[in-house]
Amino acid sequence: MKQHPRCTDCENPITPLDLPIPSTLKREWAAIETRRRFLGRSGKVLGWAALAGLFGEIGLRSYAKAADITAASSGQNNLGLPNFAPKAKRAIYLFMSGGPPQMDLFDYKPNLAAQFDKDMPDSVRGNQQLTGMTAGQARFPIAPSHWPFAQHGETGTWVSDLLPYTARMIDDLTIIKTTHTDAINHEPAIMLINTGNMNAGKPCLGSWLAYGLGSMNDNLPTFIVLQTKTNPKENNQPVSSRLWSSGFLSSEYAGVGLRSGADPVLYLDDPPGVDREVRRQMLDTVEKINRQTLAEVGDPETNARIAQYEMAFRMQSSVPELTDLSKEPQSTWDLYGPDAKQPGTFAYNCLLARRMAERGVRFTQIYKRGWDVHDNAVGMLPVLCQETDRGAYALVTDLKRRGLLDDTLVIWAGEFGRTVYSQGGLSHENYGRDHHPRCFTTWMAGGGVRPGITHGETDDYSYNIIKDGVHVRDFNATILHCLGIDHNRFTYKFQGLDQKLTSPVTAYVVQGLLA
Amino acid sequence: MIAAPQRLTVAVRTLRTGTRVRQWIFVFAVAAVLALIPLLLPLNGKPHADWLQFLGRFHPLIVHLPIGMLVLLPILEIAGVTKPALREAAGFVLQIAVAACVLTIILGVMLAYGSGVTGSTVTRHMWGGIVLLITLLICLTVRPAWAAGEVHRVYPAVLAAALLTLTWTAHQGGSLTFGSDYLLRYMPGPLKRFIPTASSASDAAYVGSVYMRTIHPIFDAKCVACHGASKEQAGLRLDLYELLIKGGNDGAVVAPRNPEGSLLLQRVTLSPSDKHFMPAEGRTPLTPDEISTIRAWILAGASPSAKSIAGISLAAQNTDLPLEPVGDYSSFMSEIRQMQQSSGAKLVAVSAKPSDGLILRTIDVASSFDDAQLARFQRFAPFIVEAELARTAITDASFDTLSKFTHLRALHLEGTAITGQGLAKLSSLSHLTYLNLSETKVTTGALAPLKSMPSLRHIYLFNTPAEKASADTKDTNATLRSTQ
Repeated sequence: MKQHPRCTDCENPITPLDLPIPSTLKREWAAIETRRRFLGRSGKVLGWAALAGLFGEIGLRSYAKAADITAASSGQNNLGLPNFAPKAKRAIYLFMSGGPPQMDLFDYKPNLAAQFDKDMPDSVRGNQQLTGMTAGQARFPIAPSHWPFAQHGETGTWVSDLLPYTARMIDDLTIIKTTHTDAINHEPAIMLINTGNMNAGKPCLGSWLAYGLGSMNDNLPTFIVLQTKTNPKENNQPVSSRLWSSGFLSSEYAGVGLRSGADPVLYLDDPPGVDREVRRQMLDTVEKINRQTLAEVGDPETNARIAQYEMAFRMQSSVPELTDLSKEPQSTWDLYGPDAKQPGTFAYNCLLARRMAERGVRFTQIYKRGWDVHDNAVGMLPVLCQETDRGAYALVTDLKRRGLLDDTLVIWAGEFGRTVYSQGGLSHENYGRDHHPRCFTTWMAGGGVRPGITHGETDDYSYNIIKDGVHVRDFNATILHCLGIDHNRFTYKFQGLDQKLTSPVTAYVVQGLLA
Repeated sequence: MIAAPQRLTVAVRTLRTGTRVRQWIFVFAVAAVLALIPLLLPLNGKPHADWLQFLGRFHPLIVHLPIGMLVLLPILEIAGVTKPALREAAGFVLQIAVAACVLTIILGVMLAYGSGVTGSTVTRHMWGGIVLLITLLICLTVRPAWAAGEVHRVYPAVLAAALLTLTWTAHQGGSLTFGSDYLLRYMPGPLKRFIPTASSASDAAYVGSVYMRTIHPIFDAKCVACHGASKEQAGLRLDLYELLIKGGNDGAVVAPRNPEGSLLLQRVTLSPSDKHFMPAEGRTPLTPDEISTIRAWILAGASPSAKSIAGISLAAQNTDLPLEPVGDYSSFMSEIRQMQQSSGAKLVAVSAKPSDGLILRTIDVASSFDDAQLARFQRFAPFIVEAELARTAITDASFDTLSKFTHLRALHLEGTAITGQGLAKLSSLSHLTYLNLSETKVTTGALAPLKSMPSLRHIYLFNTPAEKASADTKDTNATLRSTQ
């Protein structure tokens, strides 16, 4: 340890009497620093601490009482949620990890064709800092989309030929062309849109919903994450459990990930020789031990563990029923296409998401990786769209015909968009696109949002927002609004702050998107 | 309390010395002069000499001087019980408080008379100041007798009255400066319920028009603090359409179809440094969007009732029916809890607002939830707005029970054994907007009674005989489409 410069003797550390201060002060110090004074003061400190303890508890008790009545009727957290009657009871989030190129899918820029291989004007980019992948590029040649666009639906919305199925349901979608984010790299951007913060440790949207709205059924988790099997040809950015972490909320609210293989949950069956009764007895005993630990240690994570064991027990029967697709009518397969028969594909996951919606799962998030098309965009985009287009269309259409879209919010988004200029070489046959946080296209459909509209405008290069920008925080605030939550009132005290999904910068519900 | 009048007579008797009588005469004379101020200097909306306003604008600064002293005064008087020196100081503080009060009133009158402001709040604020000064003069006159122990309760009572007057007057002044809803706007909702909201005159006749939905809110947020019922700068009020069109001291401010010739638009588009720029006094200027909205509205004729105007996009009207509040079920809470435990089905609050009603959720016990189970929930029927009965064991017999769920808005019957016999019984449910009959045996014929239910706008028939029968007839396709 570093010593104080004036301290030469660690056995006898310096006291105020050794300091170069007026002798009157030293006398005063010596006079007041008596044992009597020390003991007297300690007594007062203890008294105050005891008082704070007493009053603090009274304060907390009155808090708990206020929220009691809603909790009593719903069996949920005492949070008084939803704040108002919600339009959507549940949500399904199709997450396009990697950053889909908006100008190849939705953001139609017919003027770009004439500017093929021309340099993008400096004024468009301004002083924006680029990623390490293109910052060193000598020039930024404009790469118009390789695919033609056409108008679809009664709204006449322009959609790329890459998305023939999405085009069919275009009138049901609420398209946001001006979503924007703060981060230009995958990890911070994907954390920001999922958790409202670029750093790990904050709960994601699904965990907030699980915590705030609670479960709608006893036998399946409130928040389920489905990962789509990766295609090794694609540029797959990692997604990890940080994205469905409950952060500082209890672990009960973390997303439960189902495997993308044939066996969505491993070891679901009881081993040979162990029947349900034995399993139940074992769990009861384990719970007793856990409760003992809880009483001794008081760690809320023990509670979470008890709840998870119970959920796992119930999932032993509910998950096989959920994933048993043998009773699906032929019309399902006609709609979702042949991919849906293969576990782990995006279409299969979409079908599972619909089945979960029917079974009362509050929030389902499907991750599809591979949209990070830095090079060979022309080669990879048709593959990516083939994998995802029909599934998304089938999900929305299926929910709609079954009457579930009225109270289900479907969300389609990536963490950012892609640049209009080509990364690497540009030819008539191929180009690549770098990350672009300033504008990207997302869509929502269903409960709470207005169908058939396109929100916001981007400039001629799909580079900057001209009108009605929607920050990812606003995006999340709007999602919460559709589910009946006022994002400003939905907070959790942690580290001395009223933490919320949309903090710390003010976010706004985008009224123009609402039904 | 009974002793108070007696004390007062004692006080009057002790005042019989000449100086005190002269003091009282002085107080009454001053009071009379003060009461005449509003008559001598009428606030009729006409501005006067600029130097009046220049000096008058020190009113908001000086006003804090008497306020501070008057708040200090009772503290000194109370502390004087133990420290007599403080009580002596209190007398001095009272004297300079009166002097500061006189100065403040003079400046205040200068400000009001000079700027030509009118309005009920201004008038109230001025009268408040006058009454306050008179009360303080009485305090000043009574205090020597009180300090000498000759009277007891008169001085504290008058001082208390003075402080109440001060509070009220200061509030009026605050409302003038910051707008009348400044104090309570961010009050927590639960407290707000106890404050009666003053219902002001409004253009009720124009509800739903472009003016009411876009133009009026702009004025309300940016202009009405100074050009409203409580404060009428330059004789102009923008809170009512008729008064907006009438204009102010400088004549009409809106010239229909002539935005460039409209004084209102000219003032808000001046350079912010211009003397005539509005909103004045550093208040938030109008945004470019707001200005272009007003311009488009004036260009289209500044109509109060037009429902659509080119260039102004209105947020889509919410076409959903407003939620009908259900009754108070708080007395049923313990029964509801018991019912949930015994049946396994849940009654979940739609939102934190109890009047939004309850959702009947059967998902965890669907396979065993039958007609008899549903009948048990009949006693909570008026509070249930949504019944999630998908894949339950209920049959057509339940339509009798369901017809008693009078507040039902959404009914999920998908995947049940119903055939639709008895759907007609639902016609008593006037709030029902959503009916899901997917994957049931419902036939086209059984659906006929639903046609008489105008509020029922979302009917789902996926995978039913009704859907299959209508697959080739365009008619029911249209029905299905209209469900969206």
